[in-house]
Amino acid sequence: MSHCDEATNDIEVSTNSKRSGTDGVSRRAYLASAGAATMFASAGCAGGGGGAPTINVITWNDFAQDPVVESVEENVDATVEITSSTSSTEMFQQMNQSGDFDVAVPNNNLVPRFLNADLIEPVNTDAVDNYGSIYQKFRDFVGQQFTQDGNAYGVPIRWGWYGYAYDTREVPDHEPSYNIMFEDDYVDTDLDGQVIMYDEAAKTMPVAALYLAASEGGSSYKEALTENDRMTFTEDQIQNMRDLLIDQKPSLEGYISSDTTFIQQFQQGNFLVGHSGRNEIVRLQENQDADWVEFVVPREGAMAWYETAVVSQASDNPEMAWEVVNEYISPATGAELARQGKSPSCNPNVADELDETEAELYGRIDPERIEQFIPFKDIDSDVQEPYNAAWEEVKA
Amino acid sequence: MATERGGSTEPAEQTSQEYTDRLFSHQRIESLLGNGLYAFAALMLVFLWLPLLIIVFLSFAQSPNLLPFEGFTLGNYQGITGEPGLRSSVVASFSIATLSAIIATVLGVLSSFALTRYQFPLREVYRTFGIIPMIVPGVILGVGLRFYFLTVGIDPSFFATVLTHSLYGLPFVLLIVSARLYTFDESLEEAARDLGADPLTTFRDITFPVIAPAIGAGFLFAWVRSFEDYIRALFVSGVTTDPLTQWMFGKITKASAENLNVLNVVSTLIVLAIAIALAVAMNYGNVTGYVAGTGDEEE
Amino acid sequence: MAAPDRDETLRATLVRGLSRRRTSLGVTVGPSAIWIVLLLVAPLAFMTAVSFASIDSVTFDIVWEPTVNNYYNLVAGGTSEYSLGPLVYKATAFEKAVLLSYAIATVATVLCLVFAFPLAYVLARLDDRMFKIVIYLVLLPFFTMYLVRAYSWRLMFGQSGVLNQVLGAVGVGPVGAFEFGILAIIVGLTHAYFPYMLITLYASLDGLDFSLIEAARDLGASRVDIVKDHIIPLTLPGIVGGCLFVFVPSVGAFITPQILGQGKVQMIGILIEQRAIGEATNAATASAASMAVVVSIVVAMFLVFRYVNLDELGGV
Repeated sequence: MSHCDEATNDIEVSTNSKRSGTDGVSRRAYLASAGAATMFASAGCAGGGGGAPTINVITWNDFAQDPVVESVEENVDATVEITSSTSSTEMFQQMNQSGDFDVAVPNNNLVPRFLNADLIEPVNTDAVDNYGSIYQKFRDFVGQQFTQDGNAYGVPIRWGWYGYAYDTREVPDHEPSYNIMFEDDYVDTDLDGQVIMYDEAAKTMPVAALYLAASEGGSSYKEALTENDRMTFTEDQIQNMRDLLIDQKPSLEGYISSDTTFIQQFQQGNFLVGHSGRNEIVRLQENQDADWVEFVVPREGAMAWYETAVVSQASDNPEMAWEVVNEYISPATGAELARQGKSPSCNPNVADELDETEAELYGRIDPERIEQFIPFKDIDSDVQEPYNAAWEEVKA
Repeated sequence: MATERGGSTEPAEQTSQEYTDRLFSHQRIESLLGNGLYAFAALMLVFLWLPLLIIVFLSFAQSPNLLPFEGFTLGNYQGITGEPGLRSSVVASFSIATLSAIIATVLGVLSSFALTRYQFPLREVYRTFGIIPMIVPGVILGVGLRFYFLTVGIDPSFFATVLTHSLYGLPFVLLIVSARLYTFDESLEEAARDLGADPLTTFRDITFPVIAPAIGAGFLFAWVRSFEDYIRALFVSGVTTDPLTQWMFGKITKASAENLNVLNVVSTLIVLAIAIALAVAMNYGNVTGYVAGTGDEEE
Repeated sequence: MAAPDRDETLRATLVRGLSRRRTSLGVTVGPSAIWIVLLLVAPLAFMTAVSFASIDSVTFDIVWEPTVNNYYNLVAGGTSEYSLGPLVYKATAFEKAVLLSYAIATVATVLCLVFAFPLAYVLARLDDRMFKIVIYLVLLPFFTMYLVRAYSWRLMFGQSGVLNQVLGAVGVGPVGAFEFGILAIIVGLTHAYFPYMLITLYASLDGLDFSLIEAARDLGASRVDIVKDHIIPLTLPGIVGGCLFVFVPSVGAFITPQILGQGKVQMIGILIEQRAIGEATNAATASAASMAVVVSIVVAMFLVFRYVNLDELGGV
């Protein structure tokens, strides 16, 4: 590597001697710029506060919006400091590395990880008095996924589900099915290069599994998704899912993981069918008056997420932290959160605070529908390596 | 005679005719090639500039799409003052760039002296490792430092980013300043010392004025590289520090009409700021010379 | 004669200290050496160590049990088939990413060279006033944030990007090649690193004696001959240097493929980022991939320098 520096050095010497400028003045320019920059540097060190205890929360950007923060601070005697994060894994690592955060709100599938790493407190049921109001189904999920010795370790806040959306101007009515993503003759529209999949293994691998589950003798795929608190695919199953997705790749427009990018590109007509969460589509319909988009739940089933608040063992103020969590599923704050994310609260009573159109889109959901959904889960640690490798191969 | 003459001159005439023809077409080809060269060069300037000009154009447009064109507005510019996080990102980036460039400059100038004035064991190794931070792919430097920092107990943070960028900036200072020192006439220093000046005075009065522009250039390079770095900061800046590049990348990957408008405005302002700074710098010093010696990666 | 101790000030101590060779060497080498050891050598050594460890699947913590699995998995168990005659090779995601990155970087480097050479030549022959204007136009994009330049191409490409919109307006339907993907990435990288190539080439062309070329032309040499026999040999160090400055960062590019690839093009940078902080976070496999890439770059550079005389490189 030392070779390079020799080259650059000598090139430089030669140019220096060729076009040398007026040397004396640039020193002044340099000092001036350094001075200006130092001013900026010192400006960066301002800040601070005092008063009520501060609860530090690391969570999704929706929680950092003013109406949400204000609503919490109105009802709880604490200052809420939100650090925005874009991934549950990041929230886990932050809490794992530092004691800076009292509360995190990862997706449900990451909560067992927090629990196994001994990072979180059991739910303080006295402080979280709204817990009893949430849908029975979510309390069941909590029981299945992260309850130890009779103690629950997380409080479901909001939820939503994944299906796909399509452009009704180009794609005819059809029976909703994942076939549309994998079979080019499922509808009478040329979808080559017109399909978007979600850019995340956790979202897209289950789609492959549900598609394969619907084929003959594929019921074991569905069992792997539903039977345990983790996805228990065999290596063979993972390979089949991988091969299916690799075969699908050439006909995709691409993979997108950001909601806003998905909305922007859908609107611009970059693709016709997009694997997505429901909240993106609600946002698209509500904000942009897009009446040409239809969101459907495929007949094979749909995956559902619910974000779950956990409180750190390192918190100085766990009681207050749980009160903040409780506020997130209270009707008032819950409604603000639902509006921000276009996603229903896990507490059905929140719907009472929403107006009619809002409630229709992300208010009370028929419990029978909830029964059909399969919660996202982490992959079983026995097959974690082949699973990760499979997704890498799909993306390669 | 006539035939003879004709016989003898005709071929000659023919040859000269042919020769003129060939010369003519040769010249035409030459001039075509020459013009083509300049046209191609101009085309390359267009290639460099077109996408940037489109950003500037769109920053004044109503809609973030080129077509259909919906008229001009200054509204995008008014909009960015209320943009959450933008201000603190700019402050964070300025602070990180300034602190890390100061560190890189101090270390780089000292090591340049060592490299040009002294012989010592492992000198070449030392020099090579002084250059590596700018050669090793950013993603690898970032990942390596992230794991290392986490293990020694430095959380990804403002501080970790300053450390990372100070290392990244070091080679730029080192290359520029040591190149200047190589061409520096040491007999000047000797003369000063012979006249009784101590090393500090010699440095202050003789050496520093000569190498100051190089130090300034090195500082600016380290500063710019830190300011525009995304990938290293991605791994070491953590969730609490949000340099401008992280902020912008977030806007790009979360593309929406509003975000694109903001991005076009911020990008235009960056191009404008650089344009002014560069014009000033080029008026004062030999920017080209310094640039040529340090062209390297930045991602 | 005056008692020196009375004048003993900090400054004098400093001066005396600096006059001693050992002290001055320590002062000049020391700080940066400490920095390099603590922030470069130690992290790389640590990364090497981690690449032979494994990761606790629950906490992501490092488990110090020596294994070569992380390296083994880089090359074993691939699925993408490549056939060369009767030979069929199944490449892993990592191998594919390496091949793809090297291929993309090679194309971008060649494009940079072909595009930059004429401009650099023109630049070297311009008079001072024009030179200042043109070099300003070249340097401005050079100093403009890398991210802004990558973003500018995001606007240009895509099914409804500027290119396809303009084509659509003149009646040519959206062209598939202008969608996000490998071509967009190559263009983005070429644009990003073009100024490096240009300036490095210019630096070597600027040292060229153009009267030699005039003389050769007077003697009837064609332009092609002149370029082949004079310009290229004389600027070879600049060409090699420029190629290096484009190729190495292109191989490790992250932003450009991330922004212009629409999730379909997994170059090395993206693969490592995914392993380091992505969904399947794993410090050990990320380290192994990083070390393998570092080694591949060192080997590539070694091969390049075997065929180019080093002294020539330095002899501009």
